[in-house]
Amino acid sequence: MASLTINDLHKSFGSVEVLKGINLHIENGGFLVLVGPSGCGKSTLLNTIAGLEEITSGEIQIGDNSVQGLHPSKRNIAMVFQSYALYPNMTVSQNIGFGMEMKGVEKSAREESIKKVAETLQITELLDRKPGQLSGGQRQRVAMGRAIVREPQVFLFDEPLSNLDAKLRIDMRTEIKRLHQRLGSTIIYVTHDQIEAMTLATKIAVLKDGCIQQFDTPYEIYNNPNNMFVANFMGAPAMNLIEGNISKSDNNYEFQMKNSKGDVVSLPIHGVNGLKDYEEKAVICGIRPESINDLDLVSKSQSVVREVLIDVVEPAGSDTFAVVELGQKQIIARLNGNSQVSAGDTVKLTFDLSQAVFFDRQSEERIR
Amino acid sequence: MSQNSINSQIKLSRILIYVVLIVFAFYYLLPLYVMLVNSLKPLDEIRGGGMLYLPSIWTLDPWRAAWSSAQIGVDPSGLKPYFWNSIAMVVPAVLLSTIFGSLNGYVLTKWQFKGHGIVFGLLLLSCFIPFQIVLIPMAKLLGVFGLAGTTSGLVLVHLVYGIGFTTLFFRNYYAAFPTEIVKAAQIDGAGFFRIFWRVLLPSSGPIIVVSVIWQFTNIWNDFLFGASFADFDSTPITVALNNLVNSSTGVKEYNVHFAGAILAALPTLVVYVVSGRYFVRGLMAGAVKG
Repeated sequence: MASLTINDLHKSFGSVEVLKGINLHIENGGFLVLVGPSGCGKSTLLNTIAGLEEITSGEIQIGDNSVQGLHPSKRNIAMVFQSYALYPNMTVSQNIGFGMEMKGVEKSAREESIKKVAETLQITELLDRKPGQLSGGQRQRVAMGRAIVREPQVFLFDEPLSNLDAKLRIDMRTEIKRLHQRLGSTIIYVTHDQIEAMTLATKIAVLKDGCIQQFDTPYEIYNNPNNMFVANFMGAPAMNLIEGNISKSDNNYEFQMKNSKGDVVSLPIHGVNGLKDYEEKAVICGIRPESINDLDLVSKSQSVVREVLIDVVEPAGSDTFAVVELGQKQIIARLNGNSQVSAGDTVKLTFDLSQAVFFDRQSEERIR
Repeated sequence: MSQNSINSQIKLSRILIYVVLIVFAFYYLLPLYVMLVNSLKPLDEIRGGGMLYLPSIWTLDPWRAAWSSAQIGVDPSGLKPYFWNSIAMVVPAVLLSTIFGSLNGYVLTKWQFKGHGIVFGLLLLSCFIPFQIVLIPMAKLLGVFGLAGTTSGLVLVHLVYGIGFTTLFFRNYYAAFPTEIVKAAQIDGAGFFRIFWRVLLPSSGPIIVVSVIWQFTNIWNDFLFGASFADFDSTPITVALNNLVNSSTGVKEYNVHFAGAILAALPTLVVYVVSGRYFVRGLMAGAVKG
């Protein structure tokens, strides 16, 4: 096990710069998730760590050693690919043992390691089958087995769950987390699924256009996003981003927007010092759906009650999501699962602005 | 009522299709029948007319003559030595061009370098260069290499001509082979040739068969290069067959000619029958999922 440090990493394909100065550090035993939309460079970053892509400039350290110029097989890493990338002509046990075979490990020692790993992953009865005879979930396990058997210092996962169906994906997600807890290994994990990122990570790096937008714990990423991109990307349903004006009354700031009828709705704000530069100016307010509830939930002290028109109701069992129109935007409120509201109703909702965040309209950066 | 009429319509169109197919099959098989039947007759029967009749006296003598005693040019050697000349030319040429083609395909898809597209384009272009254009420069080159008139020289010519096609086959096949598997093998510590030998080649069965059938048929049937570049001890069977049929001395032994022609065609037929089903499978590989 080892830590991983990346200093000012640049990577270009010809004249196209895909990674523009990446700085990351994950401690020994950490679980780093690289998340971002497709084309943000997250898989390229993983490939440079693996040594499958050369870097243009910068430095990658695994443990205390730079891996510059080292062949992928010499970097003490193991990788699990999106397509599993099992060797189609080999049996499961040959697949798992191939790396050891290349290293020249003796057959008996090889078989022992394969057996141990197979037991851990409960694939012992599959050892003599070919990948073509396995289901998606089983292939996934074999791919993980091939990684575990290398006993690497760092595991690299490249969207390992995206080819599985929804139910299996959640099971395997739990499995990966359990594996991480048991092995205590350092894991770098690439995904475009923000729920996977939130549930698995000890640290998340959100990437966009080859730049890290924010690198922090899942809690901070979710509650204190650096900019509108991070705010919008993390969380499902996404954070509501509403345009409105800041005005000052009685030494307190208020956020003002128009509802669907054109009337002004204002919400009081507390404790955002940066807003003093934005008096009577337009800003973007980010407020999570769970901060907008129906009245019967225990109302918090900072909550204010406002009347809104319900546009669409989406029951989801434990919660009911309601789409309402506010500030010329559709925003989503999270209501009680038993809520009886229906489309077209005008209802009172509570707005809790203690968790609300504000962004500059031009730069889309956070106002703190 | 409508159900019945639809059924009878389907039946009618089926019958039509089969009739057409049978007519065409008959049309295509007729020459083979004529050759086979007449190669088993004494010459007198053929000259008596009735090419389409079965032999009244069955005999294997024309086959024996074609194989070992017919007059080829000046020698009464039969086709036998030329048959082995062809084998000695075809086997290495097919093997080498398949091996080089697969290596080229592997490099062009999994180890791409700057300008790989141009290299592939040039190789493709070589598939379209007419044989006649290269005859004289090739003769000069073979002379320079000291290979003029030798089997090795013919192998070289066919190898050079075949690489374009085999590269095309293997490149397209390997383009569909997941690159992630190659990356996984790299991480597992396998090198360039180890990945090729242990991972790609074992999955290449269908395309190897395609390449072998294609190359074997083309090289075995080649006449122009054989006629241009071969000496007596490297003349392939196609050229010898021509010499057999065109021998100007004595009577035309049609039955021997028929037998000789079948002998010359036999190896390609055998190769096709043995591995033909893989040929269709290989040509379709990658076209559909699974």
